[in-house]
Formats: sequence, structure tokens, C-alpha cells
Amino acid sequence: MTATQERTPTQGTDADSGARTINLIQAVTETIAEEMERDSRVVLFGEDVGARGGVFMATAGLQERFGPRRVFDTPLSEASIVGAAVGMAVRGLRPIAEIQFADYMGPGFDQIISQAAKIRYRSGGQFTAPMVIRTPSGGGVKGGHHHSQSPESYYTHTPGLKVVMPSTPYDAKGLLRSAVRGEDPVIFFEPKRLYRAAKGEVPAHDYVVKFGEAAVRREGTDLSLIGYGGVMPDLERAADALAAEGVSVEVIDLRSLVPWDKDRVLSSVEKTGRAVLVSEAPRISNFMGEVAYVIQEQVFDSLTAPVGQVAGFDTPYPYVQDKVYLPGPNRIVAACVRALNY
Amino acid sequence: MIQPFTPEPIRFVAEDGTPVQPLPARFTPELLRELHALMLRAREFDRKLITLLRQGRTTFYAQSSGMEATQVGLARSIRVGHDWVWPYYRDHTLGLAMGVPMAELLSQCLGTNSDSSRGRQMPHHFAAQAQNFVSISSSIASQVPPAAGNAMAQKYLGVDELTVCTFGDGATSEGDWHAGLNMAGAAKAPAMFVCENNQWAISTSIREQTASETIHIKAKAYGMPGYYVDGNDIVAVMEVCAYVADQIRAGHGPALVECLTYRVGSHSNADADAEKHYRTREEVEEWLGRDPITRVEKLLEHLGHPVSAEERAALIAQTHREVDEQVLKAEATGQPDWRIMFEDVYADLPGHLRDQEAFLRAEQTGQNGQGGRA
Repeated sequence: MTATQERTPTQGTDADSGARTINLIQAVTETIAEEMERDSRVVLFGEDVGARGGVFMATAGLQERFGPRRVFDTPLSEASIVGAAVGMAVRGLRPIAEIQFADYMGPGFDQIISQAAKIRYRSGGQFTAPMVIRTPSGGGVKGGHHHSQSPESYYTHTPGLKVVMPSTPYDAKGLLRSAVRGEDPVIFFEPKRLYRAAKGEVPAHDYVVKFGEAAVRREGTDLSLIGYGGVMPDLERAADALAAEGVSVEVIDLRSLVPWDKDRVLSSVEKTGRAVLVSEAPRISNFMGEVAYVIQEQVFDSLTAPVGQVAGFDTPYPYVQDKVYLPGPNRIVAACVRALNY
Repeated sequence: MIQPFTPEPIRFVAEDGTPVQPLPARFTPELLRELHALMLRAREFDRKLITLLRQGRTTFYAQSSGMEATQVGLARSIRVGHDWVWPYYRDHTLGLAMGVPMAELLSQCLGTNSDSSRGRQMPHHFAAQAQNFVSISSSIASQVPPAAGNAMAQKYLGVDELTVCTFGDGATSEGDWHAGLNMAGAAKAPAMFVCENNQWAISTSIREQTASETIHIKAKAYGMPGYYVDGNDIVAVMEVCAYVADQIRAGHGPALVECLTYRVGSHSNADADAEKHYRTREEVEEWLGRDPITRVEKLLEHLGHPVSAEERAALIAQTHREVDEQVLKAEATGQPDWRIMFEDVYADLPGHLRDQEAFLRAEQTGQNGQGGRA
């Protein structure tokens, strides 16, 4: 297992190991810079990523550092941004494309599903598109539905794409490195409400987080609480609350949806006998439905309660009631209690 | 001097085979005969594929009969294997003229083990790595933004290649078409966009497709020159495309070329009786009278180097023989089995696909009595 336990934020730089405490958006920015330093084929583009440094400042300073040839603003067209990334990748570059909000991937959707996801397969491997689409997703920033949605399930439903979502600075760095260095198109979701809220230590040395490996955030014996992305701090809070009541919860961060770490999840549920799956995406066709299916199919005999799910509601993401819409620790605790009392 | 935005299509040779402006010196009788042979070969390939279709040996076919001057002319205006091409699904004549082996095209149409795309795509969606002929997507105009990106990469890498992107008239109504041209224009990328305007998108005529008078004038909106060419005049196509390619290589940014031609056949085998449903026989007859192959024959006659009936018959017979031989060869390699389903989805084989492959292996080898799923 890859135990990337999230550590408590410490006091900045650790002189011995070179480890530093940074936030998630800093992790993104510095990893892009490191990859651009490492490989001249890496280029970065999107809407307002250049002089402006991105609307969230995820690419701040990169155009200044690498020049407008490698870091540039594009026309306001997601189809062009994704499509151009496909063409660049086919011709031998390693493009990192930013889609300003995951909610705006729509115009680029056909480029993702018809071109990026299929070119390797349909050409028998003659042409490939190793590329990364970075995009902020998720709610909690008072953005209404067009700045808050969690559309990851659309992409997990398309063979040929890899889909990941970090919730810590450590994972943001490790997963982004894997994405840029990999050979396949990757949709890299960045949970925007954790950009500055998620702080954690990152080592100075080069490391990757492999796709398809979940992280066990805390070990436990009574229930497996499984999530990814923006909800992870709520899972921790829920586990804390349950721990205070003497319940031992195992918290797992999937980190990577396609591929996902079936073995880690199943061995945890076999041990605890209970699973609660959490995401903030709408419930119907939610990726966690697949996880629930596999759990009941493969470790049915170990289950002492139905698999619980906490998800977003099947409504458009609301502006005013966004705190109510999001799962939150109380709703997660309630789902866990239902499973524990079954 | 080749000019953009002309009110009428640029033409060098009239329908009766007489030059309407001085024939450029490079169009020697030898070159014209070579071009004629390429066009005729493609025309016969078209006809043979329809036979194969009727025999049930292939399942889909998109004819390019009538469009040979456009596709052969374009192929002969670029540096094959150096420049990159993002084609559309009616481009087998372009592929053939670029030197993609007929065996490869036929293998793709038949989905045999000799298919370099490994039987993953429906017929007529070719890919040929050696010619930088990028795998074709059915999704209309979806090749346009990637072509812009391909050209942006060429500019970034500082290579003197260019990117050719082809599409039909229908594609110019898609959002991706405009997005791609706008991107290429803004980036001053070395891309040549070629509209093979055959005037029909399945059953939708160019008049229903757009209120725009022509396609090429749309280039103006994207800051690039638009050229209007008689797509049934191979001399005009080659003169314009060669000129445009030079301009692009010289760093002047992208360009749009509209080749006005006609789809004399149906859209595909799924649209077999076009004249019954949506267009008149008179219209088709009129365009048959403007046939691009006949025009070169008339030109050669005018120049005193006619292609004899025997030579013509020999070229046709040779193509038919070649198709017959290559079909047998391709079919002899067999069809890929279930294993190809799981390869090339990703560079690696993730766990869920390993499980599904194991499930299918058991099912296909008769060891899985359980049904269920991987």
C-alpha cells in the first residue's frame, strides 16, 4: 500500500528533509513548473493562465518564468483548448491544458470523448494523445451551478481516459507528475474549495503517486469511510466525531477514479464489514455507485450492513443552499450511524 | 499570381479541356498522365469497394467519385511523410495519392489482421503512421481543433512542416470547425484547411447548410486568406495548394482553401438512392459532365498526348487486379480475435480491464459457466 498519510501541518520548512508545508494550489503551481523544467515538451495553456496566472492563480508566475511560447492564453473556447491539446500531443508535445471551471468542459466534451479518449484505440496505437486537462471542480465557493459542479462521473464513463482528483498537496504533486509523465489523456480535477484550505507537507524529492492506488488516511476496524476530492476533510471530521464515541473508522481517499484501487477498498471492507461512500456529485450514475456495486458483488459475505452512500442531490447545484447541498460531516456521521446500527 | 477571395473559383483548365490561362510549365504531359493514372486508380478503387460491399465483405463505404482532382491535387501539393494530415472519412483518394499502400486501405475496410488500426474502426476510417495520415474520427469537424494544435506544435518545435486538415461542406456548420480555425488563426499556426465542398452533407444541400455565399469567405473572420478553387480542375487545385503551402511554410500563418466539387455517388451505402430522395438526376448529370478525370483526358488530347482507350482499359484492369489480389491477401490474414478489445485502450492495462479481459477469456474459451461480470 502507498501510505501517504496526511500529516498535520507543521511549521513550514523542515531543514533536514527539505519537506515543506504548502497548500494544494501551490502544489499544482510548483509541480507544473518542475515538469516544465524537466521536459521542454511540456506546454501550458488555457483561458487567462498567462499574465493573469489563472483565475485561481494556479499558474501564477509561470508565463514570466517560462515565456509566452510555453505558457499562453488561448481564445475563449474549450473545444479549441482540448482539441489543440490533442493535436499537440499527437505531434509529440506534452500539453497541460487548463479548463477554467469543470462546469465549462461541455464545449470540449466531444474533443475529450471522440478524440483524446479514442485516438490510441482507434488507430491501433499509431497515434496517441498523452495530455493533461486540469480543471477546478466541486462546490463550496458560492459559485452557483456553473462554478460548483462535480462532473467527474461523465469522464469515468469514457474508456481511454484516466480520471484523478487529489485532496492533499502531497497527492496533487504526485498525481500531477504521474499525469504529465504518463502516456494517456488524464482529466485532473482540482477540488477548488481545498485549493488553499488543504495544507500539508511535501518532500523536496521527486516522487509520484501512481494512478489506481488509494490512500488510507487513518486505519480503523468498524467501518470503511471512502471518498475523494473536496469531501475528504469532512470524512476526517466525521471520523473524529465517531472516534469520540468509540467508533474506529478507516478513512480511505480514492485519489484516482479510473483506475480505482479495488483491492484496497475490498480488503478494508472485508475487515470492517461496513462501507459508507461519499462524494458531492449527484447521486444518479455517481461513480461511487460502481464502487458500491463491486463491494456487494465481491465481499457480500463480509458485509454486516448495506453499503451506505452520501452524495449530492439530483438537483442542479444551488447557489443559496450550497452548504445544505454538500454532504458535510453531520450527514456523513448519520450515514455511518445507520450502517453501525443496522 | 494566386489571389485569395476571388468571386469565382480559380480555374486553369475549362471543362472542355482547354486552358483558360497559361498552363504552368511543370504540367508536362508526363505529369498529367501520372495524375490521370492516380485519379483513375482511385475511381476504380471506389467501384471495386462497392462490389465488395455488395458481396458482404465490407460493411460501409463512402465514395469519393467525382472528387479525385481535389484529393489527388492536394496529395501532390504537400510533402508526404513530412507534413501532417488530419483527414475526414471521405479521403481514401487522398490516402492513395499520398502513397498509403492499397493493401493498408483495403485491410482497414475489411478489418483484417493486416489492418494497422487493428479492426477497431468501421470501414473508411484509415490511419497511416508512415504518411502522418492521422486516424479519422466519424465525429464531424472533430479533427479541426486537433489539426490546429498539431500545427501549433510544429510551430513550437520549429520544424518546417505544415498540417493539412480536410473536411466536407457540412463540417463548416459545426462549432468545432469555427473553434479550430479561430485557434489556428490566433496562433498563426502553419495549417492548411481544405474544404472539399461536394455540396451535399448526406441529404442536406449546401444551400440549406449555410446562408453564406461560399465557404472560403469565412476565412476572413479568422484572419486568414481564403482561396476559392475549381475542385474538379487538378491543375488549379495543385497550383493553389502548392502556393498556399509555400505561403504557410514562409510563416504567413494558416489558410483556408475551398475546392468546389461534387459527390456524384451517394453519401454512403446507407444512402443508396440519393436521386430518388433528395436531389435530381439532372443535377448529377450536369456534374458528371464536369468530371475531373475526363477533364484531364481532354486536356491531354488538347496537348496532343491523348490517353488511348487501350491505355485507359489497361489502367482500369490493373487496378481491379490489384484490388482483387490485395483483398485476398488481407482476408488470408484473418480477423483479430477478442483480445484486441482490451489493447490500446490505455498504454497500460489497468486492473479493471485485466479483470474484464480475464472474464472474456474464460467466456470465449468456454471456461466460464457463471455469466455475471468481471
